[in-house]
Amino acid sequence: MSLSELAADPTVVTFFALAAVTIVSSILVIAHKSLVYSAFFLGVLGMANAALFALLGFTFVALFHVAVYIGAAVTFILFSITMFEEVPSVERPIRLIAALSAVLIFVLLVGTFTLYFNVPFQPGYIEYTELAKLLVERYWFALIIAALTLITTLIEAITLARLEEKK
Amino acid sequence: MDLLIPFLSLSAVTFGIGLYGLISKRNMLRMLLAAEVNFNAAMLALLTFAAASPGSGAATGGILALLAIGMAAADVGIMVSIAILMFHLKHKLDVYELEEFKG
Repeated sequence: MSLSELAADPTVVTFFALAAVTIVSSILVIAHKSLVYSAFFLGVLGMANAALFALLGFTFVALFHVAVYIGAAVTFILFSITMFEEVPSVERPIRLIAALSAVLIFVLLVGTFTLYFNVPFQPGYIEYTELAKLLVERYWFALIIAALTLITTLIEAITLARLEEKK
Repeated sequence: MDLLIPFLSLSAVTFGIGLYGLISKRNMLRMLLAAEVNFNAAMLALLTFAAASPGSGAATGGILALLAIGMAAADVGIMVSIAILMFHLKHKLDVYELEEFKG
């Protein structure tokens, strides 16, 4: 497929635009001096990822990602960070080791993924009824465990927050 | 165009960036943010594989992703609560200070 044909494919153009946003926002999450902006760029990363999920055919997961992950988790981090004073960023003196580890894991992942490069890939639409049926009939136990975990987390977070008050 | 390779490569790149942040930072919240970058990369790989799976593999992958997102929200709540507690007690977010929280 030639370059002009690739550029005419809207899926390819959308993918590369989203990939650029994903990579730049990931770097900014790690490298930005301000914690508040780092958390903001995590939200941008989540939005780009949700769009990628939708591109893969998982529209429902994309919506859930925006509502629960960005709407709750990232917003929670963002608001919590505003409660902290800006503390000076301390870095470990192992930047070289960290960079080497990152490159190594990238090579390792690409090496592992190579095994799947010949698998036919045709993103399509997923039936919501099938998804709901599977969730309720086959994965009901996992669903209950997830609900219990969320409740436990809520109690744990309240306990931790009140610990300071008691002291 | 077969987008399996670009999707998985993007996931690998993002995971590498997250891992660099996780190893090189000492601030608890920065480490949490780096771990969240890793989570996003893992989710992308999971759903790419799910999309390439035959039969009901795609739906199963979607369910796994939904549960994983719920769990991620829960772990963010715990981590931020610990960070708030640590900041109140120590006025620092340095993970090296966590040694004193033992027992």
